[in-house]
Amino acid sequence: MSMMAGTTNTNTETSRVLCLMNMITTEELMNELDADEILEDVQEECAKYGPVVEVKMPRPTGGSRQNNGIGKIYVKYEKAESAMKALAALAGRKFADRTVVVTVFGEEYFDVNAW
Amino acid sequence: PDGTKKRRKRNRWGDASDNKAAGLMNLSTAITAPMTAEQLDAYVTHLRVEEISQKLRINDVVPADGDRSPSPPPQYDNFGRRVNTREFRYKKKLEEERHKLIEKAMKLIPSYHPPSDYRRPTKTQE
Repeated sequence: MSMMAGTTNTNTETSRVLCLMNMITTEELMNELDADEILEDVQEECAKYGPVVEVKMPRPTGGSRQNNGIGKIYVKYEKAESAMKALAALAGRKFADRTVVVTVFGEEYFDVNAW
Repeated sequence: PDGTKKRRKRNRWGDASDNKAAGLMNLSTAITAPMTAEQLDAYVTHLRVEEISQKLRINDVVPADGDRSPSPPPQYDNFGRRVNTREFRYKKKLEEERHKLIEKAMKLIPSYHPPSDYRRPTKTQE
């Protein structure tokens, strides 16, 4: 496997990581209680489609209210198969009256928090 | 009682059996084509604007029981009518969110046209 070429073009078909969008606002993330509840809700729901390695939900810290990852939630599964199942099931679901949009995300970016 | 933290709101997920197709027609929610972060951002912004517009059109603005935040104290006008009703508050909140998103979309998307029922808010005192 080559890390040299095409690092921007990740092999999305086999990624074990999903990116969930349109679920949360920066305001909700600023409130620690809300943010913790949201994380809990997401972890619980995502685990229904297979074992989850980690869920990352970038939060606004210090002066950086606007950061690429803020407002998105990233979920890494143990198996790509689970990620695909979750993608199909979660896309279009409602979360706090908002429609969830899901896309696959490169594992190598997830691992280093490159949002 | 069993030692778990008291939650402010119930689980935020909507019912899995909700008809997805009935919601946002023509707008895809499972993105499988490769898109840049900027493209995704622009797309999700557009989708949220459409979503809010639809809610405002059919007046579906108040969240269900258990999803709402505590109400602020009531305010009344000179005739004793309540001004900050639930419907009023949530509608205003959605309109403000939509306004911000439309401003953002106009910067992100060169050919962006706001929804036809959108009016730029006139400046009022804070």
